[in-house]
Amino acid sequence: MSTREVFTDRLQAGVLLLPTMVVSLLFLYYPTVRAVGLSFYRASLARGDVFVGLENYRRLASSPEYLRSLLVSVLFAACVVVGVMAVALCVSFLIHEIDVGKGVYLVAVIWPYALPPAVAGLVFLFIAHPNIGIFTSYIETLGVDVNWFSNGPQAFVVVLIAAVWKQVGYNVIFMTAALGNVPESLTETAELDGVSRTQRLLRVYVPIISPTLVFLVIMNTIYGFFGTFAMIDLMTKGGPAGATNILIYDLYRTAFQFYEFGFASAKSVVLFVAVGLLMYGQFRLSDRYAYYGG
Amino acid sequence: MLGSLLTALTAAVERSQAAGRTTSERLRQLETEQLTLHVLAATVVFLIVLPVLIAALVSTKRAGIVTSIADLAPGGHALSNYRRALIGLEFWRYMLNSFVMSIAVVVGKLIVSLLAALVIVYYRFPYKNAVFLFILFTLLLPVPVRFVPLYRLTTELGMGNTFFAITVPYLASATTVFILRQHFLSIPASLVETAKVDGVGPLRFLWSVLVPMSRAVLVGVSVIMFVYTWNQYLWPLVIINAESLQVAQVGLSLLRGQASTGEVAWSMVMTGSILTLLPPLALLVLFRRQLLETFTIQQK
Repeated sequence: MSTREVFTDRLQAGVLLLPTMVVSLLFLYYPTVRAVGLSFYRASLARGDVFVGLENYRRLASSPEYLRSLLVSVLFAACVVVGVMAVALCVSFLIHEIDVGKGVYLVAVIWPYALPPAVAGLVFLFIAHPNIGIFTSYIETLGVDVNWFSNGPQAFVVVLIAAVWKQVGYNVIFMTAALGNVPESLTETAELDGVSRTQRLLRVYVPIISPTLVFLVIMNTIYGFFGTFAMIDLMTKGGPAGATNILIYDLYRTAFQFYEFGFASAKSVVLFVAVGLLMYGQFRLSDRYAYYGG
Repeated sequence: MLGSLLTALTAAVERSQAAGRTTSERLRQLETEQLTLHVLAATVVFLIVLPVLIAALVSTKRAGIVTSIADLAPGGHALSNYRRALIGLEFWRYMLNSFVMSIAVVVGKLIVSLLAALVIVYYRFPYKNAVFLFILFTLLLPVPVRFVPLYRLTTELGMGNTFFAITVPYLASATTVFILRQHFLSIPASLVETAKVDGVGPLRFLWSVLVPMSRAVLVGVSVIMFVYTWNQYLWPLVIINAESLQVAQVGLSLLRGQASTGEVAWSMVMTGSILTLLPPLALLVLFRRQLLETFTIQQK
């Protein structure tokens, strides 16, 4: 259809596509299919898998530990999405409203995009450490006993702060770009009408940049589910008592601490379905907003 | 917290603004308003940089126990700390492995994705949309949902604990193919028609027309791929168990273990953290323009 399609040699096309197709099939599709298959077996590191039917899924549904992990994951991801986007929206708006030096502020704010999650986890472990953390003594003078190695809710909050800190920059990249695309005339009209600054952000800008916000909700949810693995491994190891045991960490432990590969595969399948639903949700939502926003 | 602060401040500014009548007053108010915004922005930057600033300061001290702000004065052990981390604790090896892994993945992914995008934009063949969907669908299959069976597959291939395992599975990339496709679609179609009339073949066209016209985007996606690969933690953690092959992210977790048992000082862990942060950070700062440009394509 497009006039760009000037080359027609099918063999050539096949050869050029081959590397992407082979790697996708072998390392992306095949393991996924394999995970589904393996989820019906009792399997460990050694050979000799035993077919157990739906046993693994039954175990999942009746495991209070797994249901708790599911709950912790959803709660954690929700807090990450809300926390990251609220902070990032304020910061992006701030940069948007500044006349001179925008570029400098932008780089100074978005750099944690490049920050390795493992480094984020270690730095926070160090500065918030219950015994040797630099802020610990100050927080304790406020009457809080900092003991997040044994206090679940505290551990959840500390990991959450580290996770938000690392992810705000990524959101600011997209939000400032979207704010920069808002037509100047709209801003001027709003100012002439005497619309206050916060009103302008919430009533004018937010609806216009909503497609970007929908995209970021999905990216942040996926980050909340998976991207924080390194932080949890380094800071809490899922504890204390499962308070930060999000699904991906739970899956990792099932596979590489208890070597229950069949059970772990069933957990992988659940995660796969979750990602699929999320992506489908984004597709539907952004479709609607794109139409609505023009 | 930040939001309410911003609201309170802008409200105050707006109240004084409403009181202003003459143009000069209005101008002065605009200036104070900007000043307020700059103070706020500087505070935000300070808060975002603070944790890493503390880590950098601790990496210059001997023991690295800082329990109050007064302990934060830079120490004189920067050189010896970084030398000890890199040479004494052999952190250079983890860094080197991370570099080799990241560069191999960036170069490989770039070549493989350029070829795929070339076919998807400039070739006519049956089931083209199906092929494109097949590639895009892999977005649903991130490492965390398939690392368990991938571990089995890789070890069965006899590739567990090898360089192959931490590079080849990363080579197919829906994101990179998608960004390149979007970019190619923004290049005028007349260019390829002219090339075709002149008898230029597809690879020649890719190399001498598309690549020179896509410099910014190619740099941008390369930075995105480098940051992504460099920051990988979970997959190297499970598939690599030889320390000589391990990457910097997991090397850090080994340092953390040693610190909690008292084998090394916390200043060593912070030194390793700063070392691990520097390469992706440097790329982001150097190529920020190309990176931002590429991100605007990605979202479409």
